[in-house]
Amino acid sequence: MERPPLGLPAPPAGQGPHPAGSPGAPPSASPAGRRRILTAYLFLLPALALLATFTFYPVIFGTALSLFEYNIISPPRFVGLGNFRRLAADRYFWIALGNSVRYLAVVPVLQGCAILLALWVHRSARGIGWLRAAYYLPVVTSIVVVGILWRWLYDDAGLINFVLLRLGLARGPIHWLASPGIALYAVMFVTLWKGLGYYMVIYLVGLEAIPPGYAEAAAIDGAGALQRLWRVTLPLLRPSILLAATLSAISALRVFEEVYVMTGGGPVYATYTMFYYMFDQAFGALHMGYAAALGVVLAVVTIGLSMLSFRLLREGGLSYY
Amino acid sequence: MLVLLLSSGAWASPPRARIEFWTISLQPFFTGYVQGLIAAYERAHPDVQIRWIDVPPQTIEQKLLAAIAGGVGPEVVNLNTEGTLRMAEARALVDMDGAVPPAARGRYFPNIWSSTRSGGAAYGIPWYVVPNVLAYNRALFRRAGLDPARPPASEEAFVQAATAIKARTGVYGFMPNIDGIRFLRVFQEEGLSILAPDRRRAVFNSAAHVRVLARYVALFKQDLFPADTLQRGYLGATERYAAGQLAMLTTGPQFLLRVRADSPDVYRETAVAPYPLGPGRVLDLPTMELDVPLASRHRREAVDFALYVTDDANQLAFCHLVVVFPSTRAAAADPYFTRAGQSPEDRARAIAAGELGTARDLTVVVPHSDELYRAFREAVEQAFYGRMTPQQALDWAVKEWNARL
Repeated sequence: MERPPLGLPAPPAGQGPHPAGSPGAPPSASPAGRRRILTAYLFLLPALALLATFTFYPVIFGTALSLFEYNIISPPRFVGLGNFRRLAADRYFWIALGNSVRYLAVVPVLQGCAILLALWVHRSARGIGWLRAAYYLPVVTSIVVVGILWRWLYDDAGLINFVLLRLGLARGPIHWLASPGIALYAVMFVTLWKGLGYYMVIYLVGLEAIPPGYAEAAAIDGAGALQRLWRVTLPLLRPSILLAATLSAISALRVFEEVYVMTGGGPVYATYTMFYYMFDQAFGALHMGYAAALGVVLAVVTIGLSMLSFRLLREGGLSYY
Repeated sequence: MLVLLLSSGAWASPPRARIEFWTISLQPFFTGYVQGLIAAYERAHPDVQIRWIDVPPQTIEQKLLAAIAGGVGPEVVNLNTEGTLRMAEARALVDMDGAVPPAARGRYFPNIWSSTRSGGAAYGIPWYVVPNVLAYNRALFRRAGLDPARPPASEEAFVQAATAIKARTGVYGFMPNIDGIRFLRVFQEEGLSILAPDRRRAVFNSAAHVRVLARYVALFKQDLFPADTLQRGYLGATERYAAGQLAMLTTGPQFLLRVRADSPDVYRETAVAPYPLGPGRVLDLPTMELDVPLASRHRREAVDFALYVTDDANQLAFCHLVVVFPSTRAAAADPYFTRAGQSPEDRARAIAAGELGTARDLTVVVPHSDELYRAFREAVEQAFYGRMTPQQALDWAVKEWNARL
């Protein structure tokens, strides 16, 4: 039987002007079918309107803006691909792009930690609900508050240096946010800390969806805990890994708030990311068109990376077996 | 009922001009003052209605741009000199040399009026100014064996005191104002020029400039000021001073209020002295301006209101509420500024008033300021983090500037 549009169930036999099963009578041709489709679109309408206003329109407008020179005050001037040509020779663009790409290193670490955490809290034990909530707490905490908190922790006289000095692990305070070689990684750690709970929840849902029979069968066949994790759990968790890794990579490329609050892009542009540069160009230098061009480049990188994730991780889940 | 309606003003004719007035962070401490100003102006000008909006400093430029883009920009907006020049470069502001009559212009200190001069026009009406003073922790001075009654009077003595304090107490002596592009001000305080007289060429890579930068780089390497000085700026310095972790603070006197609120103990040990001047004998004078966007629908009324807010009487009344200083000559001549009381604020007021004569806003006015400032900031940071020598860093920045000037 032909699949109805939008996956809706086929109309009951005998309904509509065409007799059921008659050739050339698509379900949507009947008034009832049309009504159902209309109903479906009506349900979609609020979400579509929101998406159109806050996503599609800005995307189209932003892409078009990248072809103009515009400072908000004067009328826009068409420059074609001029903004993109300028990018190639702009050293701050390359610095920002390099830092954003480097920031992607947080993705595998974050996902690895989140999977381990999910495996740990994915069990019934007394107080486990509190533990899950505790790990989720940073997710719902304002990033500005988190940034200020970690700035204090990273301070020369902050808790981290205090502990390291007390334990004799450092000879002097480590300038976590003031050393060009360390600052980016220090900020990345905050992203990891804040995101851990969020991805843990994604993996918890993924683990819940895995029927226990697979692991039990593997155990009966003599597989150890590590083998079960590597050969059963992780392959079955792949759809969750794909989702979480893609979301996490997109977030990493778009990092801004942590940098804004903690380092301001410094020292020596060591934490200057693409989003920060876009912000600087748009609201500091009033180069809206150039900022839009940066946004387009970032979008292309993000889409390319997402496609790569899908290619690498799409096999998995229950289709693995 | 009719009498009631008539007396309530509900049937009064609508105002001819609605002026939206944006300020920076004056609520809640100065709400009464600004509302009083507005009420008095509206009484004197019944056909003008003022709507006051207070905006945080970090977001005012973004909000202003968004408002102008949306066609709902303010008629009068408070910006600092850097913000004013940035907006002027985007051709967003009214030329005040043309809009303000010469007699009214003459009421302001000429050096302060010129703060926002760019391309032959001045783009802001000066409001209040806040020259830096030196606040210092007497307890830390005593611990370091220094006499709290004799604070450093020159930049040289200031650095020596900071060195002694760090060596003897382990607490940092100072956090120099060198974050972002503030080293441009340091050069000027040292009596060194940034641009050639024709303003078409950067000249800040001379041997004297290199010596100044190299000196601060050496102090940084000796750990004589905190590693985050280049990122945190005066806010970080004020936090550290209020925590008792910094002996000397060179900042606007208004920050003493924050120290008083956050750390009464440190505030009790705080004394105030004149800003230790460098060899240039010039003091930076950060200035707040009132600007009128070109998009203003009531330009004449907007300029008139801005002149009213910044007139002698209103500036003087504002200065009675907080340690800021007027930009008009008659207001600054008031005996109020020379009466020294006992509190650190009173001392700061008397000291800063005396500094007004030698002070000027040291903001460097250049075209393509965002690109030039970015290159300068990077060069200075490269030198501090040892990735370039001071000579290489300044040579590179000068080359970048000259390619765009």
